[in-house]
Amino acid sequence: MLAFALRRTAVALALVWLVASLVFLVIHLIPGDPAELLLSQGGSAPDPAAVAELRERLGLDLPLWQQYLTYWQGLFQGNFGTSLQDDHPVASEIALRLPRTLELIGAAAVIALSIGMPFGTAAALRVGGPLDRIASVVAGVALSVPVFVVGTLSILLFAQKLGWVSAGGYVPLARNPMQHFILLLMPASTIAVGLGAVVFRVTRSSVLEVLSRDHVRAAQARGVKPRIIILRHVLRNALSPVLTVVALHLGALLGGTVLVEYVFNWPGLSGYLVRAVEARDYPEVLGIVLAISILFVFLNLIVDLLYAALDPRVRHA
Amino acid sequence: MSAVSAKTSKYRRLLLPGLLLALVVATVAAAPLLPLADPVKQQVAARLTGASAGHWLGQDEYGRDVLSRIIWGGRVSLTVSFLAASFACIIGSLLGLVGGYFRGVIELMSVRLAEVVLCFPPMLLALLVVTLLGPGAVTLVLVLTILFTPGFARVAYAETLTARTLDYVTAQTALGASSGRVLFRTLLPNITPPLLVQFSLTVAAAMMLESGLSFLGLGVVPPSPSWGLMIRAARSVMEQAPLLLLWPCLALAGTVLLLNVVCDRLRDALDPRGAAVGAIPGFLRRRSRAPLMAAPAPTAAPSLLAIEGLTLRLETGTGPLDVVRGVSFSVPPGETVALVGESGSGKTLTALAVMGLLPTVITPVAGRVSFTGRDGTVRDLLALPEAELRRLRGNDISIVFQDPSSSLNPVHRCGKQVAEAILAHGEGTGAAAARKVVDLLRKVGLPDPAKRAGAFPHELSGGQKQRVMIAAAVANTPRLLIADEPTTALDVTVQAQILDLLQELKQEAGAGDAAGMGLLFVTHNLAVVREIADRVVVMYAGEVVEEGPVAEVFARPRHPYTAALLSSAPESDAEELTAIPGTVPSPAALPPGCHFAPRCAFALPTCDASHPAGVEVGPGHTARCIRWREVA
Repeated sequence: MLAFALRRTAVALALVWLVASLVFLVIHLIPGDPAELLLSQGGSAPDPAAVAELRERLGLDLPLWQQYLTYWQGLFQGNFGTSLQDDHPVASEIALRLPRTLELIGAAAVIALSIGMPFGTAAALRVGGPLDRIASVVAGVALSVPVFVVGTLSILLFAQKLGWVSAGGYVPLARNPMQHFILLLMPASTIAVGLGAVVFRVTRSSVLEVLSRDHVRAAQARGVKPRIIILRHVLRNALSPVLTVVALHLGALLGGTVLVEYVFNWPGLSGYLVRAVEARDYPEVLGIVLAISILFVFLNLIVDLLYAALDPRVRHA
Repeated sequence: MSAVSAKTSKYRRLLLPGLLLALVVATVAAAPLLPLADPVKQQVAARLTGASAGHWLGQDEYGRDVLSRIIWGGRVSLTVSFLAASFACIIGSLLGLVGGYFRGVIELMSVRLAEVVLCFPPMLLALLVVTLLGPGAVTLVLVLTILFTPGFARVAYAETLTARTLDYVTAQTALGASSGRVLFRTLLPNITPPLLVQFSLTVAAAMMLESGLSFLGLGVVPPSPSWGLMIRAARSVMEQAPLLLLWPCLALAGTVLLLNVVCDRLRDALDPRGAAVGAIPGFLRRRSRAPLMAAPAPTAAPSLLAIEGLTLRLETGTGPLDVVRGVSFSVPPGETVALVGESGSGKTLTALAVMGLLPTVITPVAGRVSFTGRDGTVRDLLALPEAELRRLRGNDISIVFQDPSSSLNPVHRCGKQVAEAILAHGEGTGAAAARKVVDLLRKVGLPDPAKRAGAFPHELSGGQKQRVMIAAAVANTPRLLIADEPTTALDVTVQAQILDLLQELKQEAGAGDAAGMGLLFVTHNLAVVREIADRVVVMYAGEVVEEGPVAEVFARPRHPYTAALLSSAPESDAEELTAIPGTVPSPAALPPGCHFAPRCAFALPTCDASHPAGVEVGPGHTARCIRWREVA
């Protein structure tokens, strides 16, 4: 198990290097002068003096290898760059906002798993039954409605029409825990609609697949109680694919919460990102993308390790 | 015939969503031709007015016609998504095709390179590109193309890998066809169906992303209408005009839903496997006990297991099929009965019926399976409720399956799985069960049993795994042990050891004793039968054709099928090995009269006319043949 963990960690670190280098290279991969590109506003040529200044600010006048070294030097010191607009360090803003985004994703995952898994299991155990049919249709619809549509419509319904909750916002946990969780509920549930549908589908197909395996019949032949068969021999084995898919989606959510945070005014990483993109503040965008991508890699590492913990065969592969 | 109608019905399910989708596409494509108001013409005086004759869905915050904007907006959304999906499909498929065909460095440069994109969350990558290039429809198409190319590359790559090993592709290469020809004329048509599914999936995903970016104000640039932009604008006036928000939401979600449904149905239609419903184990089904047909009165003989007139029915798409018909035989205590037959003769189904472990699609429709339990009461296993049957399974009756590798759960330690059998039928503690497991593993001949108990199944060899399965089966000293081809999946050298083990266990449990363990041994190996069995039951096409004491049947087989089996077995004493001509008939096409007649050397015209009944040919020896006297 330890050897497996070390091997996977090494791969993850290599991926971090690759991702960080790619993020560094993106600006150089696009044809034309990056500074000019960033300053161009719909066709009109930018002021040459401004371009020269930006080139110097971004260090674009240095040789590529030197830029690359400076870049890594900065990363090792926790320096993710500074904003073009106000020289504010990107890293400190990320440190402030990232936990809020993670909290949102975590809450969404909990809701999605606690709805998707029981329904997925129940649907598979009575495949073709009324519950299976209804839940499958609901999941199909849930997957087709974009997350910002769900969010906007639930604001319209729950905040505007029914007046149950306020339309969005954020209160720090320390100031008012109750209010904090109330405000968390709607954005988290919004994300959970699509995620829960995914969890439902994967659980359903995974359970169905495991049910038809020989070892389930063998457990039955030993006289094991149905409840234990379902828990120990079906769900336990069906868990790995569910975990993988959820992890993949959580990774996509790291960036995908942009829309939900925007809709609900949740002051996470994404609002920051959208503002940076609007202002075309390249160092800020780069820093955020880098932070999230690294997180994404480590998330996958955690999943790999969990996977090995769940399935003894993986450790020896 | 039935396959064709099943296929068209699959495509029929595609018809309705396909037509609706075509309607949506046709509407937005015909937008310039339709008598619509100008989607960007403002009429501030009439802002937020409701539906009217001139504006069916009302007017927005600038007084623009909502219906017209929805249709024109759909045009932008669909064009962007369709273009991006097409570009991604062309580039991705090429990369995947080339990478999968040539492998090696080219694979690295094509498929693996494209997969780098997957290292980034999609929305993030999109925002990164928008930062560099600025928002707009062209940027959108570029971004979406980049994002969805690896998906196509993966699908094309995987399918190419499978397709290139197909015989006719290999044959083409061997005949000297050029790589280009093989790639585009042979491989491409083969991988088209999955790419088609991927394409409809991608258009839907692209629409979601496009509308999301537009919603953020980073996609389509105003004043061009787009569903995302319309939702963005309507948000600020949702208090006054909630309907303004609803229409673009419905249009967007509805279109994506249609695309997804088309994609699902397309996948169902293209994937011939479909859902594996028949494989669901029986403990989940509420046993619907239709009254069985009257079975013959129970025989007086004190048998451990007496199967009488067992008929098993398979429900198929074309109607019910009786795959096992009127099977009767018994297993006395302390004896070994071998159930012999070719694959498809119904011997395994008969064994599973005794255990109550038949697949859902097969149900007993007639007969009786009387079993004398440890307490002396005789129960009909076919009529027993599932909960009571469960208490007998692994306790009074046990079974050892054919393939030990798939019969052990890979994620649990072997000892734990053996302990399950003990704990399911007693109140004992886990620790006591664990001690008993080690004893059991020692008894079935595993070296270092304590260590083996803590091992995962993949750490043991096939023979060791089968010993573990046997340990679990005999954990509660069953009265009846069913062994369903327990050595078929094992190496020849291991087979003999497992047979010896079963023999030993039976000796221990008191062979020939009235309280001894009965063994029902299902096999197609006649040499094994001669070695271990007391009685033999020969099955053919779902029926018992001969039954009798092993010595008697082997010396004087009274059914031509048994005789043919004996002379075709390499271990037999026959001077000449003869194969039985033909194959076991399918239960859907049983020959009239005697089912073996078409393959029988003794067949007479009368054999095709009437189905022979079992005849007593000697003491405890029956055969289902009218010419039994001439066979031996």
